[in-house]
Amino acid sequence: MGIDIGNLLTKVAILDGDELLASGTMDTTGNVATEIDGLIARVLSDAGLTPEDIGATAFTGGNAELVDGRGVVEDAVTCVAAAGAYYLPDVNLVVDIGGQSITSILLDADGDVINFMRNDKCASGSGRFLEVMSQAIGVGVESISDAARGATGAVSISSQCGVFAESEVITHLNAGEEPAEIVAGLCDSVASIVAAQARRFATGDCYTLTGGVTRVDAVVSRIKEKLEGTCHDFPYDPGLAACIGAALLAGLDDL
Amino acid sequence: MPFAGIDVGSLTAQAVLIEDGHTPMLKSIGVRLLSHSIRVRPNPLDSARAVMGELLVEHGLGWDDITYCVSTGYGRDSVQAEGLANANVSEISCHGTGAHALAPRVRTIIDIGGQDAKVIRVSKAGDLMNFVMNDKCAAGTGRFLEVMSRTLGVGFEELGPLAFRARGRTELSSRCSIFAETEVLHYLQRGVEKSDLAAGVTKSMADRLMALARRVGVEKEVMMTGGVAKNVAVRSELEKMLGLRMLSPSIDPQLVGAYGAAVLARRNGELE
Repeated sequence: MGIDIGNLLTKVAILDGDELLASGTMDTTGNVATEIDGLIARVLSDAGLTPEDIGATAFTGGNAELVDGRGVVEDAVTCVAAAGAYYLPDVNLVVDIGGQSITSILLDADGDVINFMRNDKCASGSGRFLEVMSQAIGVGVESISDAARGATGAVSISSQCGVFAESEVITHLNAGEEPAEIVAGLCDSVASIVAAQARRFATGDCYTLTGGVTRVDAVVSRIKEKLEGTCHDFPYDPGLAACIGAALLAGLDDL
Repeated sequence: MPFAGIDVGSLTAQAVLIEDGHTPMLKSIGVRLLSHSIRVRPNPLDSARAVMGELLVEHGLGWDDITYCVSTGYGRDSVQAEGLANANVSEISCHGTGAHALAPRVRTIIDIGGQDAKVIRVSKAGDLMNFVMNDKCAAGTGRFLEVMSRTLGVGFEELGPLAFRARGRTELSSRCSIFAETEVLHYLQRGVEKSDLAAGVTKSMADRLMALARRVGVEKEVMMTGGVAKNVAVRSELEKMLGLRMLSPSIDPQLVGAYGAAVLARRNGELE
């Protein structure tokens, strides 16, 4: 079992070998330490398992310290890299866009981490950035791709700071710009911020995209346009990559 | 005939009228300046026209009564092009001039606006020497405090007094305003005192301002201007970190830019 206590979402995945049996997601709150038991019970039940069936568990994610003392904690970069390298051996770059971070991880031919770059100090381009902007536009995060598809143009957003970009979006709305075109501009902006970081490592070879933001097709398609190389899609929900990686590492440690 | 300054900011716009030194218009009513402040309109021209127009009407004056006007802030060039001002000058120069005119001993001005923060160094004569500015990131600007007060569910003006009353201090690990918002929410869910969080917010704000100030160097005397200067807790934290007492402007700290513009208007106008 892998448990990813992310900054916005907490994810649980149960693997049998390398096959995903069941997974679940909930919001990370200040009380995640107690609330997580309900999620674990649900995912176990979905997998048709009991707690005794779990061979090993590993925790990961930016808020893993909230569940201190409950088990092994694996580094989030290591987990994402492990998941990417395991399922996609051709990939030498994993770009993970989480709730509060953007991480580019360079892998060698064996799938080991050579180097990584991580922005977790600033919301620019992260899931939270996307969430704040889509709220301001009045389009739910889950509807971003649908909204962007209806756009005939894109209203560009110049601020990289989430707080200032929010004001900019509100100014555009007040000026009568189409919400769909602002959403399209928002997706362009996130893709540019992500690509700017990833490009420092990009070799033009194969890469993959993971993290909750890569559930948003409109952002993913724009990143693919901006980033050199071929994107290999993660075989499961890319938002689960870190907890799947944690489960893979837990399995290795258990051998 | 009065000299005028118009300062259009990101959140509010200010207009100031000062004496020309010959007609005791203001002295007779016991004030050194007339001022007015409004929330900004979407267009800086509308803001400029409204803020000065309302001030003039309030005192039975018209635009023709202004001898010379300097505009500063957002859209200062278009305000001049529209004929609402005779000249336009950067916010940096206006703040420096305004602070120096109020207190000639001042050498460093820490100005915190709604969407930016500046540290300005001036010479003994009040000339601009150097400055640093952050307008790329909301951390360390008025917007950070606004977001934090909203998250804590207290008014913007209550934040300072609340932090001042705190018995403890919960420091924030995030500099980013958006991440700090999530962090504060998590602390509130865990039952941390609002006042302790307000104290943590204050510390974070002062840290950002100190980092900015260090880049340009701080020389005594120091004056704090802009809306955030009214936050007693930020002010006192900053004084502790700087190891000195800061000067207080003798007028509303939000008016210093517009006042500086009016002082420059008087200098220009008297030359012409």
